[in-house]
Amino acid sequence: MPDITLLTRDGARLEFPCAETDNILDAAETAGLYLPAMCHEGTCGACHAHVAEGCYVPGQTGAGVLADAASGGVLLCRCRPEGDLVIQVPYAQTDIRHQRVPQREATIVSLTPAGSAAVAVTLALTPDPALGAAADFVPGQYMEVSIPGTTIRRAYSMANLPNWDGRLEFLIRLVPGGAFSTFLTEQARLGDRLQVRGPLGRFMLDETSVRPRCLIGGGCGFAPVLSMLRHLADFQDMQPTTLIFAANREEELFAAAAIRELEVALPMLTVVLSVWHPRGAWSGFTGTAADAFAAVLDQAEPFPDVYVCGPPKLLESVLAVASARGLPSAQIFTEQVQPR
Amino acid sequence: MFCFQCEQTMRPESGQPATAAGCATAKGVCGKGEATADLQDVLIHQLKGIGQYRTRLGALGRPDHEADSFVLFALFTTLTNVNFNRTRFVALIAEAAQIRDRLRAAYEAACQQAGLTPEALDGPASFVPADTLSGLLAQVHDAIGAVGVRAGIETVGADVIGLRALVLYGLKGVAAYAHHADVLGERRDAIADGIAHALDVLAGDPADLNTLLEEALALGRCNFVAMEALDAANTGTFGTPAPAPVRTTPVVGKAILVSGHDLRDLAAILEATRDTGINVYTHGELLPAHGYPKLRAHPHLAGNYGGAWQNQQNEFSAFPGPIVMTSNCLIEPQPAYRNRIFTAGPVGWPGLRHIDNGDFSAVVQAARALPGFAATEPERTITVGFGRDAVLSVAGKVVDAVKSGALKHFFLIGGCDGAAPGRNYYTEFAEKVPADSMVLTLGCGKYRFNTHDFGTVAGLPRLLDIGQCNDTYSALFIAQALAGAFECGVNELPLSLIVSWFEQKAAAVFLTLLALGVRNVRLGPTLPVFLTPALLDVLVNRFAVQPITTAEADIEAALHRQAA
Repeated sequence: MPDITLLTRDGARLEFPCAETDNILDAAETAGLYLPAMCHEGTCGACHAHVAEGCYVPGQTGAGVLADAASGGVLLCRCRPEGDLVIQVPYAQTDIRHQRVPQREATIVSLTPAGSAAVAVTLALTPDPALGAAADFVPGQYMEVSIPGTTIRRAYSMANLPNWDGRLEFLIRLVPGGAFSTFLTEQARLGDRLQVRGPLGRFMLDETSVRPRCLIGGGCGFAPVLSMLRHLADFQDMQPTTLIFAANREEELFAAAAIRELEVALPMLTVVLSVWHPRGAWSGFTGTAADAFAAVLDQAEPFPDVYVCGPPKLLESVLAVASARGLPSAQIFTEQVQPR
Repeated sequence: MFCFQCEQTMRPESGQPATAAGCATAKGVCGKGEATADLQDVLIHQLKGIGQYRTRLGALGRPDHEADSFVLFALFTTLTNVNFNRTRFVALIAEAAQIRDRLRAAYEAACQQAGLTPEALDGPASFVPADTLSGLLAQVHDAIGAVGVRAGIETVGADVIGLRALVLYGLKGVAAYAHHADVLGERRDAIADGIAHALDVLAGDPADLNTLLEEALALGRCNFVAMEALDAANTGTFGTPAPAPVRTTPVVGKAILVSGHDLRDLAAILEATRDTGINVYTHGELLPAHGYPKLRAHPHLAGNYGGAWQNQQNEFSAFPGPIVMTSNCLIEPQPAYRNRIFTAGPVGWPGLRHIDNGDFSAVVQAARALPGFAATEPERTITVGFGRDAVLSVAGKVVDAVKSGALKHFFLIGGCDGAAPGRNYYTEFAEKVPADSMVLTLGCGKYRFNTHDFGTVAGLPRLLDIGQCNDTYSALFIAQALAGAFECGVNELPLSLIVSWFEQKAAAVFLTLLALGVRNVRLGPTLPVFLTPALLDVLVNRFAVQPITTAEADIEAALHRQAA
């Protein structure tokens, strides 16, 4: 069986065997190493890595997910070895879990519209003898939610705070024809039970930093940002913080009441509501998230820590602005939302 | 940022001068960020100002006990691995300014009443801190760049800076012990006066080595009083420790883990969980709590979980319930347990829940929501609780054993544990101690060998766990009582002290040993980087302090010295 050697960003070497019929991600999990990953279907890009040595079969990946396939870029959930491999992963050893990611049952306890294009879903975790009753996660993390009766699962970030009651709140964008959207709009009922897996993800606040913060949420990418802001409010944070909540149209913005609560609880919070194509008289910022971010950076002294969650194009444009202004990459934390 | 107060601080690489030692980057080895380190320097600067007024008020017969308690608490927050939360320091700095102003007003009023002209105090006494985080950080970098522990090194030199550091760090250690006693209601004027005096001395930026050395020894004596007060506080509140087995394997059910040193917090958690079915486990330096009758009386004090502080990231991740950190040593919490670790008292980390009012109901709520242990593991135990009374109750037997030659030597292997590889020395030392010798231990360094089966010597257990590092008084009491029984001095006893240090409480204990005239202390795993070669010479010549070498050689030297 081929031997796989993983080299982490901080220089650690991790080794495990992987059959030629297996993908790297599954083989790592068999060896007790739970690598950062999301869709397990070759479409989200969360398990992206780089093969430094060895031959492999890259496997089928979604369109546009793997831009660097020619230079050894792979998705570990698709890639199968044809011999020993040395693979560089873009995260540190501490980002690799050693326990199986908890998988458990939850019940839909609330379904309400969030703006014109999204649904707010609240799940209640079923108390479990081995896992307890708590919703234990770090603000910014996500869960994988399965559609009942299928193997389809989607990753959604929590919008609420970790709690001992086992409540998970998600903001889910409705995509015409999307599997989960179809489930939510046509099938889901209060009391339905489904499987959730997590918490997962490394999109978290660096609370030891003394820099101001800029949090950017595009569409349903607002969910983890909302959770982070609620956490800061809970701890009476006094760092200057800017929220950019961006959407294409004003009716897609939501959570007005939650934002008002945050403004009361966080005296150092500045809220920028940004709409790209407003239809009516729009008093907020007009432009994309990246435009709004550029305007914030123009006034920023010193440069803030930037937390951005949104669809790939939004991330790309925000990162381009950051790069053009010389914002150090260590100050940028990103999470990608796949609208599907 | 500059900090070199702990054992794990950055050491010079080969080719670099000794003065390159210390943490001077954006983050210290302990995880303390630059802003937190700078704010701690500002806070200490202010405490010196409080010391200036408090000393003078004391001389006028007008002490301020509220200010004394604040100083203990504030100094404690600056120990290694205690508080990393800059927001907390902004608040403490503001509080320190208010207290200093109150003392100033009281001092001026007292002078007026006594017909005296108040001294116009400058330096820390007149420092006005900014009232925001950004303002304070700007002050550190611009206006008052001279508040750090190395301020003035260009003019006074590294020896003076090193000795000032020894005094400051010893002071922090005294404050930590005194705070634990203070919260249990045991206070001594000698402690408050001694601490204020040391702060006042440091406020004057003394440059005379003898003055500083005398102050260091005075602090050592002050620390003896602090440790006596803490011993009185612990035994007075929770009873006299007695030998008792402690379960080291979990039992099925909901669980809370309590770490740090604070017995009062542990007692409050035991009360809050009474009859709830939730089990409470100790961690690290709270292991000796099981020896105290009034804590042990709680049937749900189920056992001890894990080892010394440096393994906490793995142990806390695996623990299936909430964790409470009551004092040092906290290291960066991992995402796996960040929601379920709570801090109490002087401890803090940004984004962790803090409990400062003794109300642990949030911890109980978390314990109910978290899974707890799914199964009971086969029972294993270790024995703790050999405090001074327990040991001295068999003093006659011990003395007879020594006189008959059945018991040849005592090795007190005490102090902190840490992650550095050199600490294997202590494991090896304990295991290589000859069969006709006894090992006494205290502090978390014991986790390196306390599950080893030491058997018995002359019908007595060969390993006696005296308690926490906070129980050093008990060890000194035993040593002095043995010296009394043998009608000799402590230095003439067949006793060797093998001390491992990590943080500032060890610095305070070290000063106490020097002040009591205890010689031949073996200090390791490495010597403090703030001690210059010249200062080490003083310690070696006056007090015969020795660095550790190898376990075999040091055991041999100890037995040889005794024979000589």
